Order: sequence, then C-alpha cells, then structure tokens
Amino acid sequence: MKKHTVVICTGTLCHVMGGSELPSLVDYLPEHYASRVTLKGSPCIEQCKNSGLKPPFAEIDGELVPEASIEKLVNELKKRIKNDPE
Amino acid sequence: MKKDMFIDVDYGQLSKNGEIVCGDVFQSRKIKNENRLIAVLSDGLGSGIKANILANLTASMALKFTINEQPIEQSAESIKETLPIDTKRKIAFATFTIVDTEFDGYTRIIEYGNPQFMVFRSGAYLDVETSKTYVKDLTISEFKAEIEDRIILFSDGVSQSGIGCKNMPFGWNTNAMKDFIHRIIVGQPDISAKELQKQIITKASLNDQFKPKDDITCAVLYFRTPRRLLLCSGPPYDKKKDGQMVETVRTFKGHKVISGGTTAQIISRGLDKPVEVDLENINPEVPPISFIDGIDLVTEGILTLGKAAEMLKNKEENEVDEKHPARQLTDILLNHDKVMFMVGTRINEAHQDPNLPVELEIRRNVIKKIAYLLERKHLKETEIKYI
Repeated sequence: MKKHTVVICTGTLCHVMGGSELPSLVDYLPEHYASRVTLKGSPCIEQCKNSGLKPPFAEIDGELVPEASIEKLVNELKKRIKNDPE
Repeated sequence: MKKDMFIDVDYGQLSKNGEIVCGDVFQSRKIKNENRLIAVLSDGLGSGIKANILANLTASMALKFTINEQPIEQSAESIKETLPIDTKRKIAFATFTIVDTEFDGYTRIIEYGNPQFMVFRSGAYLDVETSKTYVKDLTISEFKAEIEDRIILFSDGVSQSGIGCKNMPFGWNTNAMKDFIHRIIVGQPDISAKELQKQIITKASLNDQFKPKDDITCAVLYFRTPRRLLLCSGPPYDKKKDGQMVETVRTFKGHKVISGGTTAQIISRGLDKPVEVDLENINPEVPPISFIDGIDLVTEGILTLGKAAEMLKNKEENEVDEKHPARQLTDILLNHDKVMFMVGTRINEAHQDPNLPVELEIRRNVIKKIAYLLERKHLKETEIKYI
C-alpha cells in the first residue's frame, strides 16, 4: 500500500501564521486514511524568504503546499489516496 | 592568571518563625574586568524589618567599600558609625562576613561577629589561618582557593539551630556541622552551590523542628572547572560564513545548543546529520524541539528565546512543564557557567511583515537580554559573537 508523506514546517513564521495546529493533522484523518500517512516535521522548509507564497508551509510527497491548514491538507490527502492504485 | 576557574555562588534563607522578612542579608557581585567576586553576609541585630534594614545597610556598605578597595579596618569603623542606634538596647549592631576572591583563587575573608566560615577542599575540612586586626573582633583570613574548594558562610541561625533540644542542647555544634557537610560532598563530589546550601538550610530548619528560632542563612561559593555551553542562533549575515559557523559548532568543547529553524538546517547539512522534529511533544506556545546527533538541544529561534528570557527574568522556570522547549533551554543555560552565544545576524525579512499576528523581536536584542540576565541575575559569564 502506498504511503504518503506529509512534512510540516515548524519554523517561527509558520508557527505564528497558524502552523501550530498542523501537528494534530493525523487526528483529523479518517482511521483508514491515517494509516497511509506519515507525518514528519521540518525545523524550516525555507520557503518564507524566497517565494511570494504565504506561510504556513507543508509538503505532501515533496510538493509544496502554501497556506497550509488542517482542512487543506486533509482534502489534498483524501484526493491522493483515492487516486492510488488499489 | 588561571582562566579556567569558575565560582558557582548561591544562597538560601529562612526567616525566624513568625517573621515575614529575614534579618540576614546576602549580596554578591562579580566585577568582570577585574576578575573578582565579592560576597557579603550580614546578620542584623534582632529579627524582622529592623534587622533586615541594619543588615541591608551593612551588606551594601561592605560590598561597596570592598569593591573600591578601602582598608577594611576603616570600612568597619564607618559601618559602625553609620548604623542607626537601637532605642531599646542603645547599640547599633550588624555582623558581616566579606569574601573577596580573585579568579586565580587568591581569597580574603573578613569577619566581624558571624560564626566562622568553613572551607572544604575536595570534601575535607580545611583549616585556614585567621589573624586579628586592631579593630576588636575583626579578623582577616587569607588563602589560595583551588578547584573543588567550597567556602561556606552561615549566620548563627544555622550554627545555633536546635539549641535547647535534648539531642543538641547547645545547638548544632561546629564538628557535627563539618561532619554533615563533609558527608554530603563525599557522596556527591560535584554538588552545586544551590543544592548544598539547600541541604544545609533544611537540616538547620529540621534541628529547630521546622520552626526556626532565628533567621537562617547559608551561602556557598564553589570553585569549579567551568561548564561551557555554546548557543548558536541565526544564519550568518554572509552565506559564505555558514561553514565557519558549522566548524565552530563541530569543534566546540562543551555542550551545544542550536536555536532557530534555518540555523538547524545549516548545521544539519554541515555536519551531515539529519534533523528530526519531535512531533510527540507539542506545545501551543512555541514550536517543538528537534534532534541532531551530537547537539544537546535544538529549538526554534525567536519565540523560544523570548520565552526563555521571560523565565530567566522572573525565575518562574520551575512553574513550567519540564518538557516545554523554553524550560529545556532555560535549564541548560542555568546548568552551565560560561555561555558563548554565536549569533547570525542575517534578518529574515518575512519576520518584519507588519501584518504578522505577533511581533517578532530582533534576534540580537533577545540574545543580549538573555546574556544580561544570565550575568546579572544568575552570575554566569557570557560572551556574544556576531557572525
């Protein structure tokens, strides 16, 4: 079964812009989805000073997700898991 | 001059049963550019506010006179003449003990009226010769302190604790005290000044059945090899200096702390060791800590540093959960004697956005505040290097 990796940024800016909620992401996933997600943290994804995009940042399978919220990440994960080959 | 000696100083007090204010006063000051440390213990006549005022006046004067290297006999006379006279007993009186020590170990102890100080060398009691001066009851002792020496000062509330009790009718006698302290140090050879004074005070209070018959004060000066800490925070102003920062961290002899996400990434890349965020312990106030092999603590930057500064200022660290990242940072800072800060000065422009929900302080200022508090409030030595 394919596993999806979510990396959340725990840097200063992401934390104050709402990222402080993201570590509880797994609690919001339906159980059969939760087992297919690996949650990791990064001290800083280092996007805040380069891109015109807004924090908080996360990455799903290496793809950047700006303005990450639990809702946004859950929806994105659901989409990806549904498209996975059985 | 031996540079590798540090004096760990701490004291504790209990007021006489029923009194809110302690009539003993302990003050100490480190004079950085002279490499000196001066500590004064004074016990004011009686107890309560009046005693506290007498002791405070005496301790402040003794400290100032000693800092300015006034001849001690004259200082003692001046102190005596300045103190207000007790209306009942018609005398002005406060005792004092002054310890004037240089960081190469040369130490002078001046005593007037307090129970005699004790010195322990690696746990064994050390007899120090005392000579009289032309002022009655004023004595001077001189000796060269070595690493692992401890000077113990105490008021008569300690040495006379338990007086009148069946098992110690004349109080806690000197030999029993020496024996007690000797046993503690032998059991815990690296016991800190804070822990040792706590144990002595608790025993004195126990002698009085936890209702002290007099003000109890005990201070410990512990000469030890400094425990060194490097706190590295912020990316270097010039990216080309990232390597230099990594090298400083790699070669530093002592414990190491990294504060800052970007900094953690730089060090992780430089040392070729992965960084792992601890998502198990989440705190809403500040971001979680991380782990890098070989680094003792990795925290986020500004928010954690700011919270740690607050804890250092208000001495509130014991009220916060031990796992709180700022508490961990505060604990590691307080457990060391010489702290070197290496501060990268590159500013993250995104931190200056006026639309942020909280104000993010400038790193340099927070570090300066922490260094100031460590020096002034906790008598640590600090050094700040900008990169």
